[in-house]
Amino acid sequence: MAVCAAIVGKDNSPKFFCCVNPDEELAFQFKVLSSLDIIEEKLNPTNKSASDNRELYLGQLYSLETCKIYGYVTNTKIKFIIVVDSTNMALRDNEIRSMFRRMHSEYADMVSNPFYIPGEAITSKMFDANIKSIITGTV
Amino acid sequence: MNGTVDEEPNNLAQLGIDRRPIVTCAGELEVFSTVEENLSNALPKDTCEWRRSLGRPIKNVHVGANFVPFNVQSLPKCSQWDLIRQPLFHTYWTECTDVDTYKNTIREDIEAWLKELNSREITDWLIVVVENYDGKRTKQLIPRTTVLDKIRADFAVKQGDRCISVINPGRAESKTAESWRGLVSRVRHLLLVAYARAVTRLEEHVRQQRERRNEPGWNFMKYFMLQEELAQVLEMLGLNDEALVQYDELDALFSQFVANFTTCDNLKWLSQFQRPLDQWHGLRLKPSLVEDTPSLLELRAYIFARQSRMLLLTNKVWEMASRCLPFLHTCVRELAILEITAPPGAVWCWLFLASMEVLQVCDKFNQADQVEEYSLHTAALWEYASQKLRNLGELCGLMPQGAPTSEQLHVVVSLSAGMGDNPGPLNSPSPTDRLKEALCSQDVFIKSYLELAELAMGTFKHVGRLRMARLVGQEVATFYLLLGETQKAAAFLGDAIRTFESDGWHELAAQTQLCLADCHKKAEDSQKYIKACAAVSAAVEIDTLIRWSYFDEMTKHLVKLDKPMELAFNDMLRINSVAITSDLIVMQDCKMEVELAIESNFPKEIVCTYFAVCLEREEKPKSNVRYHSGKLLTKKDLKWQDPLLQRLRIKRTLNYKQDKQLATSGIASKLTQLHRKDSAPARSRTDLSAALEAEKLPLLLTPGLNVLKLSKKATDVGKYCLDAAIIHVDKLQLKSPPILPRLTLEVQEESPSIRLYKRPAPLLSGIEQVMNLILTIGSYLIEPKSIIKLTASTGLTFQIQPEEALTNNLEIEVGDKATFSSTKMPLRVLADLLTRDHQVTIHVPWVPKPIVVPLNFSPPMSTTWRLFTVDYRKFVQVNVVGHCVDNLIVHEPDLNVKSIPVSTKHCDSSLIISNGLSYSFLWELAHTNVAANSAKAEFSVQYKLTENDCYKSYQYYFDVTDFKTLYALDAVVEPAKGNEFCRVGVVCHLHLTISNMVAVHGKENADIRSVMYEVLAEQSVWAVCGRTAGVISFGGILEEENAVQRVVLDVMPLTSGFLPLPLVRISKYIPADTLHSEKTSASDTHPRLEPFTSGQVYNKSKGKQLHVIAAASETNPL
Repeated sequence: MAVCAAIVGKDNSPKFFCCVNPDEELAFQFKVLSSLDIIEEKLNPTNKSASDNRELYLGQLYSLETCKIYGYVTNTKIKFIIVVDSTNMALRDNEIRSMFRRMHSEYADMVSNPFYIPGEAITSKMFDANIKSIITGTV
Repeated sequence: MNGTVDEEPNNLAQLGIDRRPIVTCAGELEVFSTVEENLSNALPKDTCEWRRSLGRPIKNVHVGANFVPFNVQSLPKCSQWDLIRQPLFHTYWTECTDVDTYKNTIREDIEAWLKELNSREITDWLIVVVENYDGKRTKQLIPRTTVLDKIRADFAVKQGDRCISVINPGRAESKTAESWRGLVSRVRHLLLVAYARAVTRLEEHVRQQRERRNEPGWNFMKYFMLQEELAQVLEMLGLNDEALVQYDELDALFSQFVANFTTCDNLKWLSQFQRPLDQWHGLRLKPSLVEDTPSLLELRAYIFARQSRMLLLTNKVWEMASRCLPFLHTCVRELAILEITAPPGAVWCWLFLASMEVLQVCDKFNQADQVEEYSLHTAALWEYASQKLRNLGELCGLMPQGAPTSEQLHVVVSLSAGMGDNPGPLNSPSPTDRLKEALCSQDVFIKSYLELAELAMGTFKHVGRLRMARLVGQEVATFYLLLGETQKAAAFLGDAIRTFESDGWHELAAQTQLCLADCHKKAEDSQKYIKACAAVSAAVEIDTLIRWSYFDEMTKHLVKLDKPMELAFNDMLRINSVAITSDLIVMQDCKMEVELAIESNFPKEIVCTYFAVCLEREEKPKSNVRYHSGKLLTKKDLKWQDPLLQRLRIKRTLNYKQDKQLATSGIASKLTQLHRKDSAPARSRTDLSAALEAEKLPLLLTPGLNVLKLSKKATDVGKYCLDAAIIHVDKLQLKSPPILPRLTLEVQEESPSIRLYKRPAPLLSGIEQVMNLILTIGSYLIEPKSIIKLTASTGLTFQIQPEEALTNNLEIEVGDKATFSSTKMPLRVLADLLTRDHQVTIHVPWVPKPIVVPLNFSPPMSTTWRLFTVDYRKFVQVNVVGHCVDNLIVHEPDLNVKSIPVSTKHCDSSLIISNGLSYSFLWELAHTNVAANSAKAEFSVQYKLTENDCYKSYQYYFDVTDFKTLYALDAVVEPAKGNEFCRVGVVCHLHLTISNMVAVHGKENADIRSVMYEVLAEQSVWAVCGRTAGVISFGGILEEENAVQRVVLDVMPLTSGFLPLPLVRISKYIPADTLHSEKTSASDTHPRLEPFTSGQVYNKSKGKQLHVIAAASETNPL
């Protein structure tokens, strides 16, 4: 189970943020923000990363003493970020990857909502609940 | 990759580990001793191909050797796995060159040696025959059999390569060198074959041991030693990367064990690591040995040190740096999992020391590309180290504004003790030294912490991780705040806010803004404090109560300000829409009006003491700024758009070859807006003098949307752009960024104008008429005393005053006229009679160039005259046409012909001629024998427009010429003989009679003798049969009878009815050979015709008609 998930727009501004423990939200925001540096590095086309362009999953961005941060970028440069507690050994790369995929499809559904203006912050309660259940692994 | 391999055996040797294969020597050891040193040096110098089983790639390896005397006891037993530590290659050395000696002694010796080896199934051996090469021997015949041949024949029939001879390399000659090389490579090869077999066996053993890891009693440390041996072997061979794999395997294995510790039962052995931490010596990357019972940290440190070692040997500094942080995290985690207790701060000490050690090593590699590679990873390490140091500082009471308590001092002492001693060289203290020093003194601690943090920030910035650098900066800011250096703290916080804002992370920005506010408060910088308070109070992300309190703080401090302060709108106020409610083009002195929708994010109402939108005067449009046509800017228009996220405008480009075939096709995009965004936009001076202002002040800006109306009287002409909005709240002057895209307003003025209009009727000369002079004052006033000058062309006079006399020049004072007023001034104009084109030049004070008005006059009446002839009598008709719109009263017409008296025939004395009507007067010229052929005539008439006017005289002059009748012409058409009537289609006779009148009545004009007549019949009416023209001559002396000539012509009427007779014209006929033959020219060679003037010929038959009846037919018989 992850502790935090975030969706960041193509202009790097936060679109959605959810934390299992709301008290930690601010601390996680700082962490997620700084991980954008690494996402940008990874997305930089001049980087000689031979990675497949179709691979949206960026892997672990960086780790802190308390947590690990994973990234995922859609083709439209929407960034998904998941923060996992570093004591959590159960979550392997594959689980994280599928978590991201579920998040992505959830996001795609949300964006299809005609009442959502792309680029605005996401306020849908339903979406929030769905994402929370994805990261807490209750789906 | 093996550039550093030379020092490698030393590394192992330093630790007393020698993983070189052991080679035994038997036979004549004294022979061997001469070559031993050379051989052991030469062996590792070159690489050798190592072919391995299991499809692993072929590696080039370096192999060394450790030579020992042959000893039967030390030989390994069969199926032993640790062959590495056993002699595994055996050599026999002999110097014997004499075959007989060999047969007697050496052979037996070798036999015994080989038997010993064979009994242990050892197949790796080599017999070396050393030859002492000297000059004499070569001259001798080559011996039939050498000792080598004998040995080969005796012992190695199938393995010829097991025997080799070498020339003693004592003397350096080319031949010896060659044979030496042969020996070395042979030894190297055979040794490697033996060694490889041993390594394979070792690998097998390691694998077996690993399989047993879940069995009770399995000892990790033992296994660790075993696999490390393999790693060392690989290291010895120069395969550092493969050695690294072995260590990585160990690392992963151990991690797995620890991770499973809580869940698996058979990992009891891990409890040996669970003892409390009692020492936390710094990590050392130098070669070291692991202790038998290491603590967790020691074991981890050892593995990491070995991994680092291998990475450094393969020149992967960056990888070492990148592995460090995860390694430290792992250690922390494992300490937690294994529930290892440690004194407070001990782990931090260790972590700090470990990261510093790695960083120090990295520092040694300072080539640019290396630095580039590892900076990405060391940045985080610097940050980590600074964090740990700070944690320690907090623990030990070293933070600024504090002093360590005795308890904390005690902690410092115990921490320092646990670190052990690791003195570095004098000029570069080891991490341990530095940490100890930092813990002992607050100053050193502060200095060290700031240094580390600065390094972390610098490195982050260097590698382009600005956000991370900002986060470190934020940390540092809090530290500086404790230090009381608010300025530095503010700088870091400000940077952080800017970065957060630019990424759109408003909540973080707002939170940081809170810190910044506190910072400014501490600094007692009320201006900045107000600024920060304003930002906080307007941040919607923050709790409303907090916002209120900061808002109150702001208002409280605003009152205390002694001078106004300026502040940008930022997020506090937002302009949602701008609309120009007046016209886009405003007349001077009218009102420009703008409506602004402003969203206020302040939590409470603010009272604006002033509200304005600046107007920027604009001479010509700027090219790099977007303009908005129209009157309204909506929220969408005002939204700042990141040029980098804009859709590119792409267009197609097709290039054709000369033959119109497509050469290349492509798309092109012009990056239009790719210019740098100024970090600090240039402060334009706000000019409040030209600004749209709010009408009702003060006004309240409520939280949320406010619609405000602004207006200004347009005073100066020009184009204006809406620039920035300015709101004054007490002494706080809030200023918005310039409104973009730009909205433009134009103020125009209307200049005065003067026009001269004629009235609908045409202008007539000779009559005083009235024109309209219209003066229109534009949008500005004209000096009342200024003068308008009118100048007329000659012959034209005018006057504006009703009573004044007409004049050629006129000056008019403008007078006191209101703007946009128009004055009509009647201008009396009189042009001289019979003049037509005039112009009026108007000089106005507001335009230097004079205005020229062309005027066209026509006479009040027009006159034509005609001369009529009846035989000898002459009549002059004068025809007058009125051109005046009003009736013209005409009086006393009079004709006066010079020297000829006239008699009035039809001349009313007084007439009224209306516009367009003509009236004729007739006079008869008295018959006089005037010699002159022409006479000047003058027609005069008195006229006036209205009854009250006095008469003016109108004259018309003309010449009456050639008025004497010369010929009379008579034509009669008669039916042909036998016919009573003229019928259609029947030829009739035209009798033409031309009489010379002069011949009858005078002797003049004798030169006109010949006259040509022409019948100009209308073709539809008459057909002239035969000739139509002819010349008639009047004879020399004109007698009565030959003064009349008669001609008969045939004509035929074509229609019936009363037909006018065919017209006959006579002209003067001038033959080619006239009297003026001396002037013979081309034109005179032909006869000419000259017309007579109308008075010279009298046509009697003019107006005569002939009754022609229809042609005879059956329906219409005769």
